[in-house]
Amino acid sequence: MTVLSVLRTAAGPARLAITHNSQQVAKMSDHRAMNIIPSRFQWNKFKDMLHLYFVGAAIPLLAGIGITNMMVGPATLSEIPEGYVPREDEYYKSPITRFLVRNFTRNEQMEYEKKMQYIWETEHKRQLRLIEKRVKKLMAERGDYKAWYYTPHIARKYQRIVRKETEELMERRPAA
Amino acid sequence: MHLETFSPPTDAGFPWCDCPQCLYAPLLSTVLWFPERVVVPNRKEYPWYHRSYNRVPTIDQCYTDDPVCFFEANEQWIRDRQVDREIVNILRQRWRDCAFYEGVDAPVKCVELQKISEDAETNFFIKYGDLSAYANVKDCYMKQKHRMLWERRHGPVGTGMKTEQ
Repeated sequence: MTVLSVLRTAAGPARLAITHNSQQVAKMSDHRAMNIIPSRFQWNKFKDMLHLYFVGAAIPLLAGIGITNMMVGPATLSEIPEGYVPREDEYYKSPITRFLVRNFTRNEQMEYEKKMQYIWETEHKRQLRLIEKRVKKLMAERGDYKAWYYTPHIARKYQRIVRKETEELMERRPAA
Repeated sequence: MHLETFSPPTDAGFPWCDCPQCLYAPLLSTVLWFPERVVVPNRKEYPWYHRSYNRVPTIDQCYTDDPVCFFEANEQWIRDRQVDREIVNILRQRWRDCAFYEGVDAPVKCVELQKISEDAETNFFIKYGDLSAYANVKDCYMKQKHRMLWERRHGPVGTGMKTEQ
């Protein structure tokens, strides 16, 4: 892709020398001749990638880090003053780390306390569920409470009619 | 970053690295001129702190059905174990520095440091040794309990088990 134009114009004569001085020539239509030279694809691709990774990534990052360290500089370790609670980013030395902690990361103490709250809540639920299970088990064993294993007989009158008719039917049947 | 904190290699193991102070000092002051005179005075000093954790109840003060207390005791135990590891490391490093400096005389001249370091390692192993990589504070507490039971039945550790009689 694009190379610094200064380097490109400076390399112009060298490129012409490379491509036009080969021994092998293919005579094509009319006045044109194609110079057969070994492929320069890998070399050009390498230069392209090197340029990208340095100019696009390494040099800006290194320049940013260097300028930060020279302009702002790392912090100095000191004792926590009496009665002062430092901000989260005041626990780190490098200004870049402090920036990231200030703007992007989670608060360590908050996450710790959130975790404790979660543990407490799930333990609370677990204890309640254990109690429920025990109560259900006892109701099943003793059968003395209407809540879980009680089937109410709501169709008592139909039961009576069916029972009476069944008895009469059994009486009228010849003895089997 | 001061001139006095850098000392020249006068007796490095490699003769081509040796440099007398008279040649070293001007080189260093040239290199340090820019940071010391230009960069550092133009930036403000600001502090950073080490995190200070409050002490929480240890595992022997927690109820068995209190997972929040267990969690906090566990976190504290992990931090304390890391501190103990660093302590053992520092004591060991002191002995090693002495041995490196004395060379052949180390077994005679570094005996105190060796004893201190080995005692620290022993105590560390008594407390944290042979627990798995996934150990928690309860495992450590139970290890202590089992050691005390064993000592009650067989006497101090290192005197051998007593047979049934």
